[in-house]
Amino acid sequence: MSETKTLTFVFMDPPFEHERTVTFFRLLDTALDRDVNVRIFAYEGAVTLSFARQQRHGNAVHGRDTDEEAHPLTREWIASLQNKASSRGLQFEWINCGLCVDERGVNEVIEGCGRGGPPDLWRYATTAFNTLTIGTR
Amino acid sequence: MRALQVIDQAFRATTEEQDDPILWLTRSMCGAGATLMFLLSGHAVQYATLSQRQPSLRLGQWQQTQPADIPGDMTNLLDSGVPFYVVREDLVERGLGETPLHPGVTAIARDELPGLYEQADQIWQW
Amino acid sequence: MSDYLFIQSQDPFTETRAGHQYRLAQQLREAGRGVTVLLVQNGVVPARQEAQSRPFDSLLKAGVKLLADEFSLRQREINDEQLKAGIAVCDMGAAIDAMLASHKVIWH
Repeated sequence: MSETKTLTFVFMDPPFEHERTVTFFRLLDTALDRDVNVRIFAYEGAVTLSFARQQRHGNAVHGRDTDEEAHPLTREWIASLQNKASSRGLQFEWINCGLCVDERGVNEVIEGCGRGGPPDLWRYATTAFNTLTIGTR
Repeated sequence: MRALQVIDQAFRATTEEQDDPILWLTRSMCGAGATLMFLLSGHAVQYATLSQRQPSLRLGQWQQTQPADIPGDMTNLLDSGVPFYVVREDLVERGLGETPLHPGVTAIARDELPGLYEQADQIWQW
Repeated sequence: MSDYLFIQSQDPFTETRAGHQYRLAQQLREAGRGVTVLLVQNGVVPARQEAQSRPFDSLLKAGVKLLADEFSLRQREINDEQLKAGIAVCDMGAAIDAMLASHKVIWH
């Protein structure tokens, strides 16, 4: 049986600001479909993707209350991918750059997301099969 | 494993972060033993011509005390063995074709990029 | 010698550098590398038949494999039949497969 490969992804964007965020999550989802272990190093604004205090809201313009609007939250996307990985026997590791977390005050993160630094990025990259960095603009 | 760091933006977060985030990241990874190369392209070629620390920002009574030191960071990385390349055409189109480059930085033509990309195991475009 | 896949999110109408990025893909192809460009987000916009971009059309003729992300196309209501000739529709699997094939995968 061949060993499961691991891919590392590095991301910088926060939620709600750019299309890149959606494409990034689609890449992670597809990687799991390919039965690949996934590691993420979240840098700069991306550390807010896992912030535990993200909250849904309604949409008065469209006449939808909070439940009806069912607003996407990236912390739920991460949790969903964590569950998908678990159900497929795959690893899904998420590290936030700790200094980036501190300066943004987003220290409360969801379960399964950890804190680290650039040496972790290098470790992730050198122990993975391949790495993709997605910068911000 | 050797990675080529490629940046084409400049000054995006340098005031708030008091560093260029990718230069900082590279310095930190080098400290952990990383083998890296650096390519300055687009607006980032400006970094190769800087000689001073960034200006300090003042807002009301708030005064910045540690502005980014891009030339210092580049010197540190070069001294650590990180080769720096800069795209010559991007310098020229920004009017920097005759400006002295930071010591140790090598200007290359855009046509030489494929050869540089082949030298690295991975390309990390930021 | 490795192959390359560029995930091309930048477009030539708003980002001057897109032309340089296309040219890099062409040059790597000319150097004998297998090169794929996967258009995503607004990167798919020049792929519409009536879109006018000389740099993109030059890329199309360069022997580079061109793919367009199905989700990005659907968002912009670009049907398969409305794409310029030579562009195949795909999903993010193309990028993951390239990573798993040890290609150098680069986000533009």
